[in-house]
Amino acid sequence: MLDPMAALRRAVAGATLVGLAAAAPAPAAAQGKFLDVGKQAPITILINASPWYAGFEKAVDLYVKQTGNEVNLDVTPYGGMLEKARNAVRGSTSPYDILNLDSGWTIEFYEAGFLKPLGEIDASIKLPEEVLECGNTFWWNADKRYRTPAGGKLMGVPPNCNIHIVAYRADLFKQAGIEAPKTYDDVLAACKKVQNPPGLYGFVTRGERGNGIRYDFSTFMLGHGVDVVADASGGDYTVTMNSPKVLAALNQFITLMKTCAPTNAGSLGQADVIQLMSSGKAAMVQTVIAAWGNYEDKTKSAVAGKVAAAPVPQAVPGQKAGVAIGNWNFTVPKNTPADRQKAAVAFMKWFLTGEAQRAYAEAGGIPVRVDTLKSDLAQKPQFSWMPAYLASIEIGQPTLGFAESAEVEQVMGLRLNQALIGELAPAKALNLAADEIAAIFTRTGRKTGKLPPLPE
Amino acid sequence: MRSRAGEFLDRTFPTWSLAPAAIIFIVLSVYPILNLLHMSVSTFRTVDGVDRATFDPLANLRFFATDPVLKAAIVNTLIFVAVSVAIELLIGLALAIQVARLRRGKGLIRTLMILPILVPPVAIGSMWKLILNYDFGVLNQGLALVGLGPVNWLGDQTLALVSVIIVDVWHWVPFIFLILFAAVEGLPVDVMEAAKIDGATDRQVTWHVMLPLLKPAISVAFIFRAILAFKAFDEVFLLTGGGPGTSSELISLHLYKIFFVQNNVGYGAMLSITMILMVVAFLLVARQATASGAGDRP
Repeated sequence: MLDPMAALRRAVAGATLVGLAAAAPAPAAAQGKFLDVGKQAPITILINASPWYAGFEKAVDLYVKQTGNEVNLDVTPYGGMLEKARNAVRGSTSPYDILNLDSGWTIEFYEAGFLKPLGEIDASIKLPEEVLECGNTFWWNADKRYRTPAGGKLMGVPPNCNIHIVAYRADLFKQAGIEAPKTYDDVLAACKKVQNPPGLYGFVTRGERGNGIRYDFSTFMLGHGVDVVADASGGDYTVTMNSPKVLAALNQFITLMKTCAPTNAGSLGQADVIQLMSSGKAAMVQTVIAAWGNYEDKTKSAVAGKVAAAPVPQAVPGQKAGVAIGNWNFTVPKNTPADRQKAAVAFMKWFLTGEAQRAYAEAGGIPVRVDTLKSDLAQKPQFSWMPAYLASIEIGQPTLGFAESAEVEQVMGLRLNQALIGELAPAKALNLAADEIAAIFTRTGRKTGKLPPLPE
Repeated sequence: MRSRAGEFLDRTFPTWSLAPAAIIFIVLSVYPILNLLHMSVSTFRTVDGVDRATFDPLANLRFFATDPVLKAAIVNTLIFVAVSVAIELLIGLALAIQVARLRRGKGLIRTLMILPILVPPVAIGSMWKLILNYDFGVLNQGLALVGLGPVNWLGDQTLALVSVIIVDVWHWVPFIFLILFAAVEGLPVDVMEAAKIDGATDRQVTWHVMLPLLKPAISVAFIFRAILAFKAFDEVFLLTGGGPGTSSELISLHLYKIFFVQNNVGYGAMLSITMILMVVAFLLVARQATASGAGDRP
């Protein structure tokens, strides 16, 4: 169901944004000319009600205002996005002209042939070089069954490149005379120094079963230099989930959560983590960058103006930090009319311009262009997260880049959660996960294998 | 002299007149179940935007045999159905009998009692998630005032399913109450009065007269509620997501994950059939039990 109030909301928000822009002296970059995409057919976008949505909505308002082209938004909770997208591509005509897909879902749609390569809609489309790679999840090489620009087709563009940052209470750190954490050891030390549970928890990240713990643990796992499989891009699906390095990462994660997080760490979701920080009950949280607005918004946060951002900490001191990219992808269904496909690509091209990205950032979005992230905006207090974000995104890597990702995530999400809550010993949990993941790859015909089991 | 065709039409008219309803029933009920059966013995792959089924029942049976979460989901579902329905029946019956004895205010109480059924399940889940929140929940705040807690309602393996049951009881007691209250109100007053004239106490009237007369209504309430409990989804999905671990995983939630998260349509269909069979088996047992109990009616 499309929101009947959406047009009105967008009109009001757009007018507000334009009014604000007119009232305030615009920075140099914002005075640049926006891309003229001409008159286009009306389009409908399936978009998630994520923390970055408000910024995106305002960018859409600006597009509508500038071009006169109609854009309808079907704003959907995360839990309903995948099913709506699946239904849309299976009908005779898709109700949506742009599907926003979580990177974990893209392969299912690429492999099934539900999406139109963007180059087949508009031969002139190419990603501006300033746009972040975001793990290259919007490229698809059908022969390799892998997301890569090498021999791959451009299937979408990124509206958001989500990665983790550590948001911490700068005021508390200053009082305690400690620096922003650079490693997870620093996080543990700082947590012990500042925490005072249950009034103030030292460090919190998601521990709930499923995507939450799987994604948040990935910074620890990748930081130890290991992933779920040996080399997915090279076709080697030997399961490394139960390597000693992953065990070290899991022990590190559990130690942090047991020492610093609330008793209900095993059921903490994204809303809980954001709430703990915003209410002043957490000294440090590891959340996706998209959540940043919640900490700095005075109407939602008791700690606005007191929070600073640090890049993802190193899991092993001296080694590269593990940054897991969990981005979104704007894609075009095959079963949408040609004029609307063209209009969808026109919107994408406009959205990725420097001017639009700046407006998107100013409205609270997370821009996907390096030049926007390095612009004068980064010097302003409300954009203090930009340097930390940029430092992390440049070393980010995609996770679960294979067709079996949904099943593998279910396995990891369960076993990691069982280890965290103490239902299984860490080694036992990882051995079980490795067995189950190897069974998935065996069934799907991958070249797979297992490491020797960890001593339990 | 009527034609043979006319006679045939007259004779078969009842059959023909039922045809539209029968066709609608087949299209809306039988076809989806047949389709589900077909899916349960197939594996699916999408090629060039077209879903293609391959007959491979063994593949789905292998999933069934190796599913690491299924056993926990079945056990939890049975516990959930047994405990929640039993508590709901006891509270609902007690309330129905007590409210029926009131001289005034029955209408008001009945109106108040119906409110939890009217609240949308998503609102119930969200509301109770806030109430049971570890750090900010009203319940833990209340416990703190009396020097107790905080209790990890949704994050503790032993309490998560208990919490879901508590919410389910809150949600569904009114349903049982309304069925049984109507039944109590419809009981023959003369039988009750005769028992009292014969010297029976209120308790004896309740145990030996009211309850036997209420058996059919209790059976109906039990069967309806148990069928719904087997299919419970929204509360557990919103409150715990089946966690922590598998401590509150129910079959319906597991089915959702198989179907809609993993997109494993074949195995999902096989699980659906299993769930339908479980409910049918339960209904047969319940019908047998209630049929033998029906003989107790005075």
